[in-house]
Amino acid sequence: MVGTPVLFIAIPLMAAFLIPLLGMIWKELVRIVPGLVLTYLLILSINLLDHVLAHGPIVEVIAGWGPPIGINLVFSALSGFLVVLMEFLGLLVWAYSYRFKRNVDYEPALKYFLMLMMLITGSVGIVLTGDIFNMFVFIEITSISAYGLTAFYKGRNSAEASFKYVMMGSVASTFLLLAIMIIYAQLGTLNMADIANKIHLMNPTLKIVSYIFFVTALGIEAEIFPLNGWAPDAYAEAPGPVGAAFAGIVVKAAVYAIIRYTYTIFDLSGTFNFLIIIGMITLIIAETAAIRQEKLKRMLAYSSIGQMGLVMVAFGFGTEEGVFAALFLMLNHAIIKSLLFFSGSYLTYNSTDKKISEVNGMSKFLPITSLLFALGAFAIVGLPPFAGFWSKLAVMTAAADSNMILIMALVLIVSVVELVYYLRVVNRVYFYKKEADVKPKRPTVNALIVMITLGAIILLVGFYPDAVTGLLHKASAGLMDKTQYIHNVLSVR
Amino acid sequence: MDSTLFSYLDYAVYGTAVIVMLIGFYGAMVKKSLLKIVIGLSVIDSGLNLLIVAIGYYKGGTAPIFSQGFLENFKSVSKMTDPVPQALVLTAIVIGFGVTAVALALVIRLYRHHGTLNIDEIKNLKW
Amino acid sequence: MNTIYIIFLIFLGGAVFTYFAGKIHKVLQDILFLVSILVPAYLFFANVEIGQNVNLTLGGISLSWGINYFSWLFSLIVLGLGSLAAIYAVGFMKGEKRRGYFYFNFILSIMAMTGILLSRDLVSFFVFWEIMTWSSYLITIYNGNKVQSIGIKYFVFSAIGAYAMLMAIVMVHHITGSFLIGDMIHAYPAMALSMQIWIPIMFLMAFGVKAAMMPLHVWAPGAYSNAPMAYTSVFSGALSKMGIYGMTLVLVTMVNHIPQGVWFREVLAWLGGITAVIGTLWAIQQDDAKKLLAYSSVAQLGYIITGIAIGTELAMLAGLFLAVMHALFKGTLFMVVGAIEKQTGTSNFTEVTGLIRKMPWTFLSALLAIIALAGIPPLGGFVGKWMLYESLITSNHYLLVIVIFFASTAAFLYCYKFLFGFFMGQEEKEWAHVKEAPAVMVLPMLIMALFMLVLGTFPGIILNPINHGLQALGYADSYKHLWDTSIILNSWGNKVVLQPILYSIAGIFLFFIAFLTWKGYKNTRFISTKDISSSGEVPKEDENLTFSVGFMQPFYRAVEPAMRRQIDKYYNAFADGLEATFEFLRRIYTGNGQTYAIYVIVFVVVMLLFKDFLF
Repeated sequence: MVGTPVLFIAIPLMAAFLIPLLGMIWKELVRIVPGLVLTYLLILSINLLDHVLAHGPIVEVIAGWGPPIGINLVFSALSGFLVVLMEFLGLLVWAYSYRFKRNVDYEPALKYFLMLMMLITGSVGIVLTGDIFNMFVFIEITSISAYGLTAFYKGRNSAEASFKYVMMGSVASTFLLLAIMIIYAQLGTLNMADIANKIHLMNPTLKIVSYIFFVTALGIEAEIFPLNGWAPDAYAEAPGPVGAAFAGIVVKAAVYAIIRYTYTIFDLSGTFNFLIIIGMITLIIAETAAIRQEKLKRMLAYSSIGQMGLVMVAFGFGTEEGVFAALFLMLNHAIIKSLLFFSGSYLTYNSTDKKISEVNGMSKFLPITSLLFALGAFAIVGLPPFAGFWSKLAVMTAAADSNMILIMALVLIVSVVELVYYLRVVNRVYFYKKEADVKPKRPTVNALIVMITLGAIILLVGFYPDAVTGLLHKASAGLMDKTQYIHNVLSVR
Repeated sequence: MDSTLFSYLDYAVYGTAVIVMLIGFYGAMVKKSLLKIVIGLSVIDSGLNLLIVAIGYYKGGTAPIFSQGFLENFKSVSKMTDPVPQALVLTAIVIGFGVTAVALALVIRLYRHHGTLNIDEIKNLKW
Repeated sequence: MNTIYIIFLIFLGGAVFTYFAGKIHKVLQDILFLVSILVPAYLFFANVEIGQNVNLTLGGISLSWGINYFSWLFSLIVLGLGSLAAIYAVGFMKGEKRRGYFYFNFILSIMAMTGILLSRDLVSFFVFWEIMTWSSYLITIYNGNKVQSIGIKYFVFSAIGAYAMLMAIVMVHHITGSFLIGDMIHAYPAMALSMQIWIPIMFLMAFGVKAAMMPLHVWAPGAYSNAPMAYTSVFSGALSKMGIYGMTLVLVTMVNHIPQGVWFREVLAWLGGITAVIGTLWAIQQDDAKKLLAYSSVAQLGYIITGIAIGTELAMLAGLFLAVMHALFKGTLFMVVGAIEKQTGTSNFTEVTGLIRKMPWTFLSALLAIIALAGIPPLGGFVGKWMLYESLITSNHYLLVIVIFFASTAAFLYCYKFLFGFFMGQEEKEWAHVKEAPAVMVLPMLIMALFMLVLGTFPGIILNPINHGLQALGYADSYKHLWDTSIILNSWGNKVVLQPILYSIAGIFLFFIAFLTWKGYKNTRFISTKDISSSGEVPKEDENLTFSVGFMQPFYRAVEPAMRRQIDKYYNAFADGLEATFEFLRRIYTGNGQTYAIYVIVFVVVMLLFKDFLF
């Protein structure tokens, strides 16, 4: 053991609030320190994950109060996988945005990195915590930093996007708190394992009501239709790397929370079908909205929403295969959509509108970025031999094994829609004439390294899926085994 | 004393909380001014906090502070109200404060950018 | 390491290195390109043993690669035509832009086709299928933004087909628990009836798209005619055969085992026949050689589909023989058009005429290919068509014979148009500078023309492998009994009976032509296109009076009512309707934050109202 899960929350929080002080010593520290912290946390998370895969989950008790009284952190295969993914993406987002905009000087950079650290911490906290109120706090930390990051640019409509996000976020936190209080009033405990243990004692109506409130509150972050009104605006107006962070980190955390509630805590019947229904609606509406977009980032945002819908559907199969497929999709979505956001922001770097027509002919000026964007587009629609294919195959296999033939057909039809709009953009990048007033911007070296890393991962997973499938199988088995989770947490003293 | 009246009064605090929340929702969902919306959102928060505290309270309970002489006065720890909701409310208040601050900052930005506080006119991002 | 791995590694590495070699030197790029096609082709035929399998596990899925006689037959088409087209492509791509891009996708699509033939499991089959789709798509849009919608149409149809196949694959996996093709075939007879019907239908959708079968053919004319010709010869010659390959497998290994299979066969055979007629009619009225050949490809694939759908031994022989021949002659013809386009800059009959003296070798290969296409002896097309007619008649498909016969007779019209439009007619000053295409381009064409001649005279050369392939699929050995029952095979197999007579006829014919040409040459008055006047009207300068303008106008007028209903229009209308619906749907996102918040409340209320229904 090289560390404990609590470091994932303590260190970045401390670092985030030390950044301003350190910045007084040397301004460059504001940019350097987050990277160091994230690198350390990435190494730590990989080490811990390694340990967890060999020896079983780590349950960390905070302040000496064992479960079910105190707050505890659970680092299992599933949460470990997500933590590694988040820290890795966080590191990439940091590296990418190290000098993303030349004109960003000390003061905004300070805010940017501070909020980014908070965002990652909050998301990691959501995944690690074993306490529903603690999760609420982390969700709020994540949300508030997300509001700030959305409104980062002053000149644009970012404040509008952020305000919509705030409105929906406040409503979400209301419902979340209500749901938590219903559970507490009924069961007298906030510990997830303990609730799961006692959930059968709960009044059935109140159980359903609290589940609905939970899903509503978390669904806003997880971009479920119709709760995702904020998402396209926020993605479009936030800085490019932040879009990647939203798609890769925040949404993943929210989906994890929904899944934890659905699989572990609540014992309702019909939740799986419910997930499939809302997932399908989200998928269809988002992809149909995406095909008519004129702005690149909005298109990516809708595509991201759609993918999350598909993840929901895969979780809704309720089988271990389905969970495996969903986790695989989450992984692929995280790396591929990040690559698309990263490369897409350079394709439309100097434009304010981020119109799709402005990427015309960019391949001549930004060959590597364009190539990586095309790679990402091909990968996300699930063309072999790239990463997206294996997750699509896994989803389809899981659907077939659950006899969801209609769902399969719908998902595949929607994939055709997805294919069309991605191909349109890629064709524009490669085969259209550049618009006269568009000034291309060459990516910085660190941004290029980040994008190439992601591209390499896409190819690696595509050609050798065994690199991740073992871990994903363990994680999905962990999620399915509810009693083991309860036992692991409650046996800790 | 009429016991039914008292039992209704017991629920009155819940009712008040719910009414406050509904007022907040009305403000946030119907009013067009950004400021009124923000006010509505924080009214929702207040109502919710009230509700949570009310859930933790029961009639005749005392403050959950374990001080000297507590057991002599109250004979049992069960006379304490539940401390957890109160702790949660403290946290929730802080968070609500933070969100309100962010929202107000955004309102200022929006006003500078659009020159209006009417939410119907702030629709540059759509579809 | 197994040869199969080495083949794939060379393909993959070759594709990447060829792409980047362009940054160093153009010639190096050409050499690398040829090496990465020819070496795997050589290795394949030299070292890969038939029946030998390699097994590997990827992502928890066990895959198996190997080859049997049936797929070996198709690998002849893929790698043979692929190699020749690669040599041709080196000449064709000289001086063109985006060579690396073209070469990269060319190699990948050849690799994917080889991979399809090597796949003994459904996952690698699907993977290679999709690689084939996107690499050919990328070449289709090589010519820039004009062809964007054509490329997307191709990809959308392919994707619909491929996804249908994916559904079938996962359903098979659900039933059998395995992705191996062998297991699927084994388990098929015991499946539920609905599965027995749906799985072949979904497979056939995928294969029908690639084989350009009605009504899934609408992408084909555009894609074939807009890809660079060096690739189209592979596209139409080999890639479409992948559809035929898959279709044959489905029909023989699955559909044959259920009583309802006869309906599959009838429907497919008729779809093939209709495809042949429609393709032919459309081909006749094209003025662009590329378009003409594209529609002609659709029509020819229709014959092949009919052949394999009928499914008797003779029909299978006919269909597969036609498949090989189609690869040869259509590959040649697309190369011819490519050569003409390269030399003159256009592929339109109404502009280019009288190239016979400028490009004699190209003309010779075009002539042989056209003869083969039209089905005139002694070239291969005749043998194939004869067998097809015979098999249709012996299996009592009299109406279908008429349809096919009509199509193949009408095909003469476009054959004639092609040959005359480019090579005959007046020699225009405009094309006086045109020279024969470079040797790297002419040589592959001539080699293929030679093959057509040889296969037409000795069809046994290719019928033997086909026979082996069919035996691998479970057909009886047709060498003895079938070759005797068929009139054509009796006389046209390896036993040379009619051949001396035929050679005499052909010799006299050729001599006669030579005589006429020589005789006519002396009396020819060379005039320009514009040097005519009729009814006292003197044509203006800008009036196009080339021989091919308005060619076959009366015939077209006769069939026009039948062609007015294009299925393409309905597809387009459907797509437009969908997009309009999507445009309407996305207005849900009104842009008003308050509305979004109300959505949240509505969502909660609706959930609460329906909670008993949901949970």
